[in-house]
Amino acid sequence: MPDQPRPSLLDPQVIARMGNLRLRVRAITEGLLSGLHKSPHHGQSVEFAEHKEYAPGDEIRLIDWKAYGKFDKYYVKKFEQETNLRAYLVVDASGSMGYRGDPARMTKLEYASAMAASLGYLLVRQQDAAGLVVVAGKVETALPPRAAANQVGPMVDALERCQAAGPTELGAAIDWVIEHAPRRSSVIVFSDLMDREEKVLRRLTQLGRRKHEVTLFHVLDPAELEFPFEDPTLFLSMEDERQVEAHGRDMRKGYLELLGRWLAEVRRSALESDVDYTLCRTDAPLDSVLLPFLARRERSAA
Amino acid sequence: MIGFGNPALLWGLLAAAIPLAIHLFFRRRPRPTPFPAIDFLLRARKETQRRLRLKKILLFTARTLLLAAIAAALARPHARQGAGAAPIAVGPRATAIVLDASASMRYRLEGRTLFERALADAREALAGLSPEDPATAIVCGAEAAKPEAPSFDRAAVRRTLDRAAPGGGHADLTACVQAAAQALSASKAQEGMGKRIIVATDLTASAWRLDAAPPAVDTPKGPVRPEVSVLDAARGAQLPNRAVVALEAEPDPAAGARGYKVTATLVQHGAEKAPEVPLSLLVGFGAEPKVAIRSFAELPAGGAVKKSLLHGFAEGGAAAVQAQLPGDALPLDDARALVLEVPRDVRALIVNGAPSPVKYRDEAYFVESALSSPASPVRPRMVDAEAFAREDLSKVDVVFLLNVRSVGTKAGELQRFVDAGGGLFVSVGDQVDPELYARELGPLLPMALHVEKTATAKPGASGAGAARFAELDFEHPALSVFSGEAREGLLGTRTDRYLLARPARAGAPSARVLAAFDDGAPALVEGLRGKGRVLLFTSSVDRDWTDWPIRTSFLPVLQRFAAYLTGGLEERRQAVSSVGERRTLRLGEGESLVALVGPDGRERPLAELERSGLARVPEGVTWAPPEPGLWQVKVSIRGEERLDRRLAFAVWPDARESDTRRLDAGELTAWFGGESVAKVAGDRGAADGPELPLWSILLVLGVAAFFLEGLLIA
Repeated sequence: MPDQPRPSLLDPQVIARMGNLRLRVRAITEGLLSGLHKSPHHGQSVEFAEHKEYAPGDEIRLIDWKAYGKFDKYYVKKFEQETNLRAYLVVDASGSMGYRGDPARMTKLEYASAMAASLGYLLVRQQDAAGLVVVAGKVETALPPRAAANQVGPMVDALERCQAAGPTELGAAIDWVIEHAPRRSSVIVFSDLMDREEKVLRRLTQLGRRKHEVTLFHVLDPAELEFPFEDPTLFLSMEDERQVEAHGRDMRKGYLELLGRWLAEVRRSALESDVDYTLCRTDAPLDSVLLPFLARRERSAA
Repeated sequence: MIGFGNPALLWGLLAAAIPLAIHLFFRRRPRPTPFPAIDFLLRARKETQRRLRLKKILLFTARTLLLAAIAAALARPHARQGAGAAPIAVGPRATAIVLDASASMRYRLEGRTLFERALADAREALAGLSPEDPATAIVCGAEAAKPEAPSFDRAAVRRTLDRAAPGGGHADLTACVQAAAQALSASKAQEGMGKRIIVATDLTASAWRLDAAPPAVDTPKGPVRPEVSVLDAARGAQLPNRAVVALEAEPDPAAGARGYKVTATLVQHGAEKAPEVPLSLLVGFGAEPKVAIRSFAELPAGGAVKKSLLHGFAEGGAAAVQAQLPGDALPLDDARALVLEVPRDVRALIVNGAPSPVKYRDEAYFVESALSSPASPVRPRMVDAEAFAREDLSKVDVVFLLNVRSVGTKAGELQRFVDAGGGLFVSVGDQVDPELYARELGPLLPMALHVEKTATAKPGASGAGAARFAELDFEHPALSVFSGEAREGLLGTRTDRYLLARPARAGAPSARVLAAFDDGAPALVEGLRGKGRVLLFTSSVDRDWTDWPIRTSFLPVLQRFAAYLTGGLEERRQAVSSVGERRTLRLGEGESLVALVGPDGRERPLAELERSGLARVPEGVTWAPPEPGLWQVKVSIRGEERLDRRLAFAVWPDARESDTRRLDAGELTAWFGGESVAKVAGDRGAADGPELPLWSILLVLGVAAFFLEGLLIA
């Protein structure tokens, strides 16, 4: 792949459009939550953390009237429990994620990294804890979730550092999350699912059983979905030494049939496992993928 | 049987190998491309490999078939079935056998002439007739056919065929076939019978006129188309031929005094061009003429080319030239001959009556210059008046007396010289005494001279009062070359002084005034004396009395006068005749025809000539030469036999017979009325059965392959 300047992981336009939305978890997570996130443990005391300037949408009952008396401005109280949403952003950095069918497009890894960084930024911005797991054959990078504002920097650095290489071993990341994440965490996976382990989706259901909320962004290049090859081509595997010599025109029909069947199987498995599944084309704008996702989360959390 | 309309295009079948060649030599190398979903590709290939292989084979087959079908269709293949001859009338048929005896039938093919093949075909056809079939035979040559009504006398028909020989002329087979149809109509006893015409020919297109009405036999029920069988003597083979079809010769001074440019028109009938064909120019009479020039010509396929050769003849008189190509299958037209009348040398004696060391004042300077110019046939020799007395006039052809005071004792010899056929030109001047001339040359001069007349007041000035030539006789052989603006050279002449001439006395030999001055006085007068001719010019031939010597007309007039006075201008050849065309031989006085010597060198005595149509006419004899080439005439004069070259003549073959391009059998069949009544046997393009056009099937196959290929690609 020719070296292209990597686009900014935090595209300002994307962030500006997402600024008016807040991420809400779909299910009631464990812990003491008030404010933005509803908690299943009502009546428990929570530790005051800080004031936040009132913004439309904040609950009126949380307005600190004393502070209003002092500063003539509305402030709402924030508590530690509001931040106990822990999100694990799992990014697949295997060799196949380095593909792009058109030099003008981002590779799948770049696209996934941009999405992961954007979501991580949003989470940290609203005091949620965001962690990062980069897997390429094995877990390459693992940042435990933290809600501190300085969490975003290492995440972005880690994403920018990672190179697409090695086989797809999503199972290693799942194992790591199972081992390290407390219950009721949110696990957001960015992968092309080109895993030699055919039942990788079944592994994801293990997370659901542990009360984790699993979201899967299935990142694919348009060339993989449409197979635009016409001429005799020597197809080289990006993760091992395999290769296939074939005439693109002759292969298209069979390939698309197989791909269609596979995508349907992935969707079905995701539905059965209660995994929130989104197919992402790398030529689609990031916001067109994230905004429906966030809106969906918003509705389910309301 | 399968045949091809354009067998040469079968090479196009090699195009069918193009897909294989592309597959083997021009296969595109696959471009390496990293691709993540390699598993799907492996599985897809595994699932579709068999189908793809089958598709590839089908695609390869369709493309190969497409190219092969188109290439084969362009070659126009066809199949013929065995049956399908023209329907034959039930019962006996009156049959007329037409045998082509034209010159092209002498074409030699595979060791035999086409005529021999056609004759064998005709005899075989005759033998194949049933005893109930009446028959007749028509030999179609240069002369109009006179067929007899069909009869049961087979021996007579066989005799007609046995006597037949290929002629040297053109045969009109359309007329012969129509004559055959008329012969079939002649007998009322045969009205109820079927009618059939069998034509044994070489199928050359020039023998047929397909724009004429096809033959029809008159019957009580009206005209009906006879059944026609054409027997192709060439068996469908093409007949390439090269020929000399025209020969011209015209004087060309570039080749000398007796130089000629001989231009031969050569044709090549055939599909291949002939580079560097040897062309020989033969000169001379007799069986073995001398090769004067060897040259080469490039003949284009199916085209004509003109080749010009220059040759200077060593002597004047009758001369024969032949343009000859190397022999081919039809030798008849490989050479053409031409007989020319090359101008003879004229020996002229100029008697200078007023010589001068200053050239332009010399009386004979302008005359001698005119007669001795390049390319002039005249060989002048000049003497003065005193030396003239010692000259032997038997060694000259014409005498020019230029301002000679007196011929003295030579007058009698001069009289005899002219009576014996010599020429005499007399011009006058200040030395001439009319009375003395009347005494010495009176009987010779066409008109007696009288007194001198001065046309202008000032001698020597070319003013408005100078006399001009008027009433010129441009019909005279010596002046006939002047036409249009060229006449100005004569009409513009200014003459100051001249001698008047007395009109001829009653009973004197007649005189012809060729030119008179504008006052009516004769200027040029011609008189015939015995066998000789005398021309009198009543002025001078230097610049003393006239400016004619410096006019453009002076040189050609003097040269032609010299030729005319010796009789050279009247020597003309008859136009070349074609084979079979009657030619008149004008025998000289005291001559009688003994024999004709043909191009083959064989002498044909008078008796044989009379049997072959020689007839006597007031001018001599007429005869139709049967063979092309150079013919010589043997005459007898006072008991002595000799070949008279003056009478030799050339006969040309008919150029139409040189054109051996073949007639399309289908076209001829259609003209006769279609395959229902006519057939061409022996032609490769017309077998016995109807033609099945395989090329149309191939085209359908090609179209199917095209759609299959498109379907597979889609």
